[in-house]
Parts: sequence; C-alpha cells; structure tokens
Amino acid sequence: MIVCVAVVGHQNNPLYIQSFTEADDALKLHHIVHCSLDVVDERVNNPKKSGPTLNETFLGLLYPTENYKVQYVFFSYGYLTNTKVKFILVTTDLDVRDADVRNFFRRFHAAYVDAVSNPFHVPGKKITSRTFAERVSTIVKSFGLSSAT
Amino acid sequence: MADPATTLLGKMLLDEITPVVMVLRTALVEESCRKNGVSLVQMLSPFCNFNNIDVPVRTASDQPYRLHKFKLRLFYESDIRQPNLEVAKEQLKQVIAQAGEQDLSELCSDPPQISNVVGRSESQILPSWFQFFNKELMHTVSFSDHEAFDHPVACLLVVSSKDEQPLNRFVDLFNSNKLPSLLNDGAMDPKLLKHYLLVHDNQDGSSEKAAKILTEMRSTFGPNDCQLLCINSSEDGQIEHQDNPWAPYKSDDSPSQHLGSFLNSDDLNEIKDVMQELSSKHTIPYMEQKIRMLNQQVSATRKGFRNQIKNLWWRKGKEETSDSLQGPMYTFSSIESQIRILGDYAFMLRDYELALSNYRLISTDYKLDKAWKRYAGVQEMMGLAYFMLDQSRKDAEYCMENAFSTYLKIGSSSQQNATRCGLWWVEMLKAGHQYKEAATVYFRICGEEPLHSAVMLEQASYCYLLSKPPMLHKYGFHLVLSGDRYKKCDQIKHAIRTYRSAVSVYKGTTWSHIKDHVHFHIGQWYAFLEMHDIAVAHMLEVLACSHQSKTTQELFLRDFLRVIQKTGKTFEVLKLQLPVVNISSLKVIFEDHRTYASPAAASVRESLWSSLEEDMTPSLSNARSNWLEVQSKLISKSYTESNICVAGEPVKVDIEFKNPLQIPISVSNITLICELSASSEEIKSDTNGSTTKRQSDDESKMVATTGEMSSGTSFFTLSEVDVSLGGGETILVQLTVTPKVEGTLKIVGVRWKLSDSVVGLYNFEPNLVKKKIAKGKRKGKSFPSNDLMFLVIKSLPKLEGFIHPLPERVYAGDLRHLVLELRNQSDFSVKNLKMKISNSRFLTVGNRDDLTKDFPAFLQKTNAEQSGADGNFSKMPQAMFSFPEDSSIQGETPLMWPLWLRAAVPGNISMYITIYYEIKDVSSIIKYRMLRMHYYVQVLPSLNVSFQISPCPSRLQHYLVRMDVENQTNSENFQIHQLSSVGQQWEISLLQPFDAIFPSPSLFAGQALSCFFMLKNCGKSTSSDKISSPLICSNVSLQGSADKLFDITSSPLADFHYCERLQHGVSQDDTSTVDFILISQPSKSDGSGISDPQHLFSHHACHCSTLSSSPITWLVDRPRAVHHNFNASFCEVNLRMTIYNSSYAAVFVRVNTFDSPSSSGQSSDATSLQSNVPSGNQTGWHEIPVLTDIKLTSQLPPNQLRKLPSLESVPPFIWSGSSATSLHLEPMSSAEIPMKVCVFSPGTYDLSNYALDWKLFPDNSREDEAETSQTSGTCPGYPFYLTVLQST
Repeated sequence: MIVCVAVVGHQNNPLYIQSFTEADDALKLHHIVHCSLDVVDERVNNPKKSGPTLNETFLGLLYPTENYKVQYVFFSYGYLTNTKVKFILVTTDLDVRDADVRNFFRRFHAAYVDAVSNPFHVPGKKITSRTFAERVSTIVKSFGLSSAT
Repeated sequence: MADPATTLLGKMLLDEITPVVMVLRTALVEESCRKNGVSLVQMLSPFCNFNNIDVPVRTASDQPYRLHKFKLRLFYESDIRQPNLEVAKEQLKQVIAQAGEQDLSELCSDPPQISNVVGRSESQILPSWFQFFNKELMHTVSFSDHEAFDHPVACLLVVSSKDEQPLNRFVDLFNSNKLPSLLNDGAMDPKLLKHYLLVHDNQDGSSEKAAKILTEMRSTFGPNDCQLLCINSSEDGQIEHQDNPWAPYKSDDSPSQHLGSFLNSDDLNEIKDVMQELSSKHTIPYMEQKIRMLNQQVSATRKGFRNQIKNLWWRKGKEETSDSLQGPMYTFSSIESQIRILGDYAFMLRDYELALSNYRLISTDYKLDKAWKRYAGVQEMMGLAYFMLDQSRKDAEYCMENAFSTYLKIGSSSQQNATRCGLWWVEMLKAGHQYKEAATVYFRICGEEPLHSAVMLEQASYCYLLSKPPMLHKYGFHLVLSGDRYKKCDQIKHAIRTYRSAVSVYKGTTWSHIKDHVHFHIGQWYAFLEMHDIAVAHMLEVLACSHQSKTTQELFLRDFLRVIQKTGKTFEVLKLQLPVVNISSLKVIFEDHRTYASPAAASVRESLWSSLEEDMTPSLSNARSNWLEVQSKLISKSYTESNICVAGEPVKVDIEFKNPLQIPISVSNITLICELSASSEEIKSDTNGSTTKRQSDDESKMVATTGEMSSGTSFFTLSEVDVSLGGGETILVQLTVTPKVEGTLKIVGVRWKLSDSVVGLYNFEPNLVKKKIAKGKRKGKSFPSNDLMFLVIKSLPKLEGFIHPLPERVYAGDLRHLVLELRNQSDFSVKNLKMKISNSRFLTVGNRDDLTKDFPAFLQKTNAEQSGADGNFSKMPQAMFSFPEDSSIQGETPLMWPLWLRAAVPGNISMYITIYYEIKDVSSIIKYRMLRMHYYVQVLPSLNVSFQISPCPSRLQHYLVRMDVENQTNSENFQIHQLSSVGQQWEISLLQPFDAIFPSPSLFAGQALSCFFMLKNCGKSTSSDKISSPLICSNVSLQGSADKLFDITSSPLADFHYCERLQHGVSQDDTSTVDFILISQPSKSDGSGISDPQHLFSHHACHCSTLSSSPITWLVDRPRAVHHNFNASFCEVNLRMTIYNSSYAAVFVRVNTFDSPSSSGQSSDATSLQSNVPSGNQTGWHEIPVLTDIKLTSQLPPNQLRKLPSLESVPPFIWSGSSATSLHLEPMSSAEIPMKVCVFSPGTYDLSNYALDWKLFPDNSREDEAETSQTSGTCPGYPFYLTVLQST
C-alpha cells in the first residue's frame, strides 16, 4: 500500500505531500520523505556512480526505514525529473515490482507536468491544485490494484 | 590507512584487551591504603600502564619482538564476575544523566549554524562523554566465560606486615572460597601465576619487621615471587601531587580530600617498580611460556591434515548429543578452550598473526558445534585481529558483521555482546572513514532499551554529519529520533541538545511540519526545565502555523500561553507572528491644513479635493511665499519636507491584522509606538534627537507593572484598540496618536498584546509605507524616511462638521431637510467661512430661516401667500457659499445651517463638501484650514416618470400630455400629489376628473399608471428674461384638494429644478419646451393609504419638447356638418387653415392639395369613417367634438352637382380654389389661408389629401440650431372629416 507520495522541489523544498493513511502520522511521513532526500542528493551529485543509467529518471529504492516500534516498515522510492524535481513514493509493501513503481512514477510525472503547466501555478510554490490531488489519489489507488493482481 | 594501533579502535583494544591480574588482599592492607583515600587496586592501577618498557617477547615463532607499551588490568577477586545487568543499566543511566548535567550551560546558548557544524572534525562535534559511555557499555559484558582475555592471567596476593602470621594469610587468601566462579566452575585454569606482595605501612613503625617477613616469604614461596611494598612514608599526610594519578577516582562524597596524601615520591617509585616487575618479569614471560606450550599442544592435536580429518569426524559424531543453544560446555582443559586461550594470549601480546590463525581454527569448530556465542565471540576477535593487522578491511568487516548478527540471533541474552561488537565494528568503520556505514551500524545497535538507542541514534546522526558529503537530512532525522527516545527516558537535557542541533538542519527550509514539531517540543522541554525565555523563543516559531490542523493550532497556542503564564512576566516579542500585520495596508491619515470630518473623506483622492477647492483657497503663489517665510523662521530646513500635524489633533494610522489560524485569538491593547521629541526654544538642524523621549521604552516597563498608561506625563496620548480575530479573519484597525506638545513626532511601529500575555511589536519600515495623502504642494521628490515623521505645530482651531440626519439610503426624488452642524472645540475663533458642494444637484444650501420651518408643510401653498417665490436663482451651481460674517463658531454653540438633499437619480452618490475657514490668530504657521466632508448616499429608483407631448389636433397652441408613472420600488407605495408645469406661458389642466384617473389613492409597488393632461400655451412670456425671473408655474392637484398644493417656486424645489434643468442641458428653444415637476408622497408603511407627510418626492422632467418634427402647426377650421341640397348644385364648403410657426426662424410654407385620395395616402372612403382610426402616436386618443355649429352654405355652383352621379371614378369631392398656396411665415406668428372644397354628393369625407411643405429660412442668430435640426420637410395632412347632408 502506498502510504505517501511527495513532490520535492530542486531546492529540497516540499511542493506537495499527501499521505494516504488513516493514522495521524503526517509528521513521520514528512520525516521519511525528508530523509530520503539524502539518497537522492547522493545519486544526483554522483552521476558517475549511476553511470549507464545517466538518463534514467527512476532512482529505485532509496531508504528502507527499519521502523522498530512501528509495525510498518517503510520503503521509499525516488524519481528525478529533468528539472531536478524529485518524486518520492513511500510504501509499506515489501514486494513491489519495479515495473509497477516505474509505471506509477510515469503517470505521476504526467500529472505533475499538467499541474505545473497551469498558468496560475507559481513555480517553486506548493501545488494546491485540487485536480492534481484528485488525479494523484486515483493513481495511488490504481497502484494498489495493479500490484494486487 | 594509518597504523591501526594509533586509531581510536586500536587504542581502545590496546587498552581493553590486556591481561587481567586478580588482586587478593587482607583487610589490613585495604585499611592502610584507605588512609590515602583510595583502595589498593586504585592505588596500584595508575602504575599498571607501561608506556616506556622494552620487553622482548618470543611467542610461537622463533623471531622475538619487543613490546614497548603494556598494560595490566587489576581487579579484586570479587569483581571478577559478570556484572549484574540491572546494576549496569543503572550505572549507564547515571553516566548519561551526569553528562546531561554538564552541558547545561550550553543549552542556553543559541543553536549552532549548520554551515558551521559541517566542516568540523569528529572530536569537535561528538560530545566527549560518548567515549566514556561506550566504554561503560562494553564493560557490561566483561568476564564472560566464552572469551578468555578477561580471564585473570596472574594473581597478586597482598598481605600487610601488621597481619599476624602473614605467611599463613597468603595461603588462606588463595584457598578461600571467595574466588571467582570462573575459576571454581572450571571455565578457566585455576593454576595461575602467583605473585606475593607484602605491604608495609611506614606509619606503623620501621620496616625491619617487614623485611624479616619478606625473607620468610622468599624462603616459603620462592625468591622471585615475593616483594615488599612500603607505603605511607609521609608523616603528616600533607603531600599534594602535581597531576594526581588518582584524579579519576576522586569520589563525589569528599571532594576536598587529597588522594594519596600520605604517599611521597619514594612510595610512588616503589609502587612503580613493583608493578613493572610484575608485568615484565612475571606476567609477560609467563604468557610467553604458556603460548609456546599451548601452541605445541595445538599443533600436535589439530594441525596437519590427519588431525583435521580426525577432528571433523569426531565432531560429526558428537552432533546429536549437543542441541542446546549454548553449545557444549567447554572446560578449560578442552582443546577448544585451549585454542581460544592461545589466541587471546597472542592477541594480548600483539602477535596478531598467531591469534588470527588460532581464531580461525577454533571458529569452524564452534560453528560445527553450534556453539553460537563462542562462535560469535571468535568471529569478533577475528575481525579485530584483521583490523590490527591492517590486512583486509573487507574480511574484518565481514567478521564483525557475522559476529554481530550471530549475537543478535542468539537472543536477548547476548544483546549486550552484540552492542559491544557493534561498537567495535563502528569504530572500525570510522577508522576507515566509512561514516555512512557506521551510522547504519549504530542504527542496528539500538535495541529495545530506549536510553541506549537514544545514545546510539545520536551517534549515528553525527556519523551522517561526518560522512562526505554530509547527509544532513538523515542527520536531522536521527537527531529527532534520538531526542524522542531521550525524552522517553526523561533525559530532557539530552533531548533538548539533540533537538537544538536538529533545528539547525531544518532552519530555513520549508518543511514546516517538521519545523513546528521540533520547535514546539524544544519549547515544551525548555519550559519543563524552567528556562522560559528560550522556551518562549522556540514556541514563537510555531505560532503562525496556518498549515496545521485546527487541533494542532489549538494545542500550540494553548501551550504557548501556558508557558508564558508560567514565566509570570510580559514578554515583548519583535515581529510576533500572531496576528500577521499586513504592512501593505498601512495608511497614515493626518491633518494639516486639510481636515477631515470622517475617515471616508480622508480616503478620497487628493486631486478631487483640490479641484473642488481650487478657487476657495488663497492663491497658490501667495500662500506659498507666506508659508515658507513663516516656516523658515520657525522650522529648520530639514523639517520642511516632513509632514505637519497639529498638537492636540490625532494622527490616524490604519493597519490590517490577519489571523492566520483557524482558531479565534484575542488581541488587545493595540497601540502605536511613537517618539516625540519636544522642540526646545532653539532647534538646530542637526540636533533633533537630543530631547527625544522614548515613551515606548518607559511604557514597556510600565506594562509589566501596571499595564496602565500614565498619559499625564507623556508628550502624547495613544489610543488602544482591542479586537478579537476569528479564524482566518482580517480586521482593519485604526490607531491614533495625539501629540500634545510641539516638536517632532515619529511613528515607529505598532504593539499589541496577544491573549493578555505576550506583547508583540512591529516596527514599520519607513520605505514600505504607502503614503495615502500625497501633498499637492510638495515637491515631486519624496523622502520615504520622513513619511512617518511629523512636525507638530501648536494647536489650531479645528472645525468639526456633521450633517444630520443624513440617510444612508433614499429613494430617487426624495427631498430631505438636513442640518449642517459645525463645531469648534478650541478656544480660537475662525472667520471667513466658505463652503462648496460638489454635487449641487443633490445637495444645496438652504436659507438660515429654513431651520425653523416645518418641512414639508411650509412648502404648501396657502391661498393668501401666493407670492412666496424666493427661489435663490442668483446662486450659481458649484459656486461658493459664503457664510454670513456674523456667524461665529466657538465653544459649545455649534453653527447650524440647513441643507437640502434631493436624490436626483438612482445610483451610489458621493457628495463632497469642503468648508474653508481662516484662523484669526495670525501668528500660526497655517493660515487657513479646510474641513472636508464626504458623504455617500445610495439612491434607489422610485418612480419612473415620462411625458409625451403631442399637439392637440383640434386646437392650436394646445397639447396633449401623457404622463406615464411607474413605481419601480419593491415595497414602497406612493401617492401622486401634484403635477406642475414650469413656465409662464404654460397652463396645465386635467383632462378628466382625477377620480376617474386614479381609482386608488396610492400607486403600489410595481404598478404603472398613465394619465393625460391638457397643456396650453398662453404665449405670455418671452424667453429672454426667463432665467432671472422667478418660476411661474401652473399646478394641478392630483389629490382633489387644491389647497394642499406645494409651492414649487419656493426655495428648495425651485433650486433643485434649476439644477435639473442645467443637468439636462439647455434646449434649443425655451418656448417650445416645458418642464414638469411631479410631486408625490410615500404612503405610510402601515398600508392605510394615507400619505406620509414627512416626506416629499419630486420628480423633474425638463425640456419636454412640445414640437413634433416640423416647426409648424396648423389647424383646419371647418364646419362639422353641412346641409346642402345636391339637387340644386354641388356643395362648396369654405375652410380656413391656420398655420402657426412655432420656431424662431421664418418659414416658407406651401399648401398642396391633391385630388386623388391615393396621392395623399389617405383613405377617402366615406364608409371607412368608423374604422379609420388615427394612427401613430395618438393611439386611443382623439377628440371628437360635438357637432354643434353646422353652417349652411348655398353658394355652390349647380353645374358641379350635376356631374356627380356620372363621375364615379373621380373623388366625391375636389379642392377648389388654388391648388397650391405659398406663404411666408414670420417667427412665432400665424397666418390664415382660405381653402375651399367642392362636394358632389352627401356623405362624410376625409379631407386629408393635402400636404404642407415647409422650409426654414436660416436665421443668423440661430445658426447653430439650424444646422442640427431639419431645415425642410413635408407634413401630410391629418385626417379630419366633413359631413355633408342632403338638405330637405
């Protein structure tokens, strides 16, 4: 299950964070997303490490948060656009197919592009579009379905 | 990589993995040592660290090597056992708590900047107590039976010379059953190296007795193993040691005691010698020897191919029997233990190669035996050995990982071992600068125990910080995690320390949720520690948390206020976030020579006022020169640009406050912060701040004590506003400051009190001020810093004006009587009052005696007083109204002056009134002032009145007037009272009796009404003197009672009518247009239908033209019916056409007659009389006069009559006489044309087949109108009917 998706700007400022859990753990998810940025930064700043996957936007598994005390273990996946905007996906599923995540990010990216193409959107400001939020939640829901099958 | 021995881990290993010496002593020995404040072990321990020895060592190999550093660890026999876990935990807690206390002072300082932290080295970042804590943590697992390096290598037996039978005591000591369990249960070899030490206390006498005992000992235990130690040589016990070796043992109970005060330097040297001999001459050779022995043994049994096979086979066989988790029990004599001892001894003697090979050997055995704890222990040592050999880092890490995970696998019993292993592993990684990996290991170490995990997480966070590049996000996250755990263990100070560091990470980012969390908790914790100032500082950060949920906002605010309350004082916070001050809304309103009656007036554009006041104020150049002249005397040049305000008159500042939260907050005591420097007698331009009295400072002190402003002593008074802001609400607050003395006033900022507890300050940045009032006279250059600076001049008279009762909402046409009230509160009198009103269509000035009159009754015409036409026509619109000279305003008595309001047109109407007055006191800087008033009236549509005028077809100079009235209101009912036509030449009358027109007295909402009037042009007046002459009007009452007519010629109505006329422009022709005034009154709201006498509505329709498109009107005068004997002859009827030229130009008119009815387009069929209704604008309207005067003529020639039956195709009548008549008509004149028609048979005929062609002669004087209007045209004849009857 996807518990959180986030869009983080190129200055590591949060543009959009939405959690999909009932519990009141927004703070925790904020922390996890914030924490995942280190790994993203590392991969962004060391392109030679990623070598052949230079144009790869998908960053893969970033941070298996071994969350002692809490029943879930969170995994976060990252995705980096050409404008250095990062997408973070936090999930509790251990077995996530890479293809699913890639597909998710691709659709999420499209939704993001549409949202920031809005002439009333100020680049670098939080995304407040309701349409975007609805679309994201649809994508998140469909992610759960496709991985279940 | 550097030499492993110099790394932190290397030093740690050299320190920790060293031979243990068990110390057995008698009570008297201990007593002697206690004199110095230390125990025996404590006394000896500092001298067990040998940094300067040179001992040759030869282990398994033949090549000897030398040891330069060595260390022995001394323990009492009672301490050689596994520490109690609970006690150990308690001890660790103590360590942490103590560390927390130490850096309390640091907590008060500001948190470090993240940029500063990043570059620092490890030792600068890490708190020093981490080392100590880690060491303590490792000690919790010492003396385990699965590893041999904690097992005692030697035994030191100490007996005092005072003991009786010392030799027996030596034997007793070792044979007592107090020996540690390790020796007793067979985990280690009880045959130890024994060293006998006799302690002699020099205070007890000479050492002769001791020497005697020593010789006895030597003979009994062997000459080499016995030594004598003399202590307490100092007599007085006053020796103080430079860098006291026992400093670490200083107990907290008696800090003043000097440790080792009885030990002089001889004693110290003796101790040193004893210990050195113990290590280099006894322990090391003993270990060497043992290593060699064990090595041979191991080689014999285990080395070589045959032994290995045998070993494997043997272990396979053993497999079923040992299933316990601990694996089989190994006694000291088992070969496995022997190998382990061999490895550990080699390790302690720094022969890591040997140690490693043995560890390897034993490791597989333990693994096969499933002796996991021992296996893990060996793996751990292998890792360390690899590290010390500096060979394969990978292998070392692999071993450590293996050991760590194996320990963890065993379960909670080995948790401590895992921790120790992890700590070593971490150090190993750190030594290789693999900080990131080290952080992960720290993360894995932290187990169930929250306190330990807190420390580990904190260490992990520092690792993230130290890694290259620094991973700040994780640094922050782990600090927060750590802080949480510290908090759980009530280690508040540690929690604060971690969070403080975390703040530096999140500072300046937009991760507001995290930031709020961190700040809020720090604030809480500081408050818990009673450090309220810092607590408040942190709490302030989270106040404006509009992104948080409502409950969170409530929580934040509540906690904040609680903390504030606890402090018991009033905080002053610059730029308090709650509420938000909208600086762009800042608006300063001040009054210099321009004063304002209401805030609305102040917000009007300055240009509007100045255009209104243009001709009122004294001429600009004069005023300016006077102004400057006077000013330059009094005011230094630097003030000429600043604004001027008057002492005693408030300066108003409008500012918006916004509540960003969803919960309501209360804001009280909103005041301005001002500075007023009173002007002394001589102000130099550069010393303006010399007498500055910062009242704000004084005030802030007072707030804490009383909260009351003592305005008696201050130079100015401030207004206070209390507001309550709902969630997300924005409130505009007006604040005032009233200077009391002359000088320079500066508005610095605004202060407020949030929830009665915290004071917020906000300083206005001068250049941000949007100055509302642009001074027209000032130069274009603006001095932004001066926008909030005011020059206070001495008090002046100031008029206050009100208009009452001014309604907010009126219906169009409403005529109201208002009173302008002017007050002058000051002692100075004013003169030369003038007033100007922007919109005289809506508001006019009345006469003074209007005040006493009863409106609207006084407007009603009484029959006796017909001539009350005193309309003030000489007054020009927009003209200035000068109040009479004798009207003075001073003190309590106000000047009252009547005003008339008439809502002319629907809409939102702004009315600007400006009153000019001069100040009698000439010495003042300001000569005159203006009072500006602005009123705003919403006018709703009421009655829509329209008039249509058409010439009466039957009479010249008579017109039919159709009035359409529609009530456009929603609820109001009106009674039409009277209709008046204005002008001397017009007379209006009802066409029908009024009750036939008005079935109901009221015109209800939404109802429409049409009625008709006859308008007659008397032709009395000429247009030239119309303007100056009083209004002459003709009234018709629509209520049936002529005595209640209103006199529209009297003052307000006539004035407004005049304005209306002007508003609609002057028409081309006064004589051909007529003005109507409809007077109505609203019905009383109770629906009784009785008109409300308090209100009067007037609707004006101006310049209603009586003209149709042509300038001429005509009337054909003819008999209605003619009796004629057609048998005799045809009938000839004489007609007379009267043509009237109503234009101002001469007209050429030609009358054409047509014989064919079709040519005129009129039906001449006699039978079509009834259906032939006049078309066009006369719908439903024609006059059918009664047939009264039938004339009979018998002059028709008979020949024409005869033709009649035979001529069916020709019309039944023909025009006779001239077929076209031309004539020239002078302006405003009439002419008559005789016409004749011949009728051939009886019947009714429509004589409309004629037309009038007219042409204007352009007149020089009216050239402009001739261009716009039609100059020529054709009027078809209108139908009229002639009935010819056969006379008998």
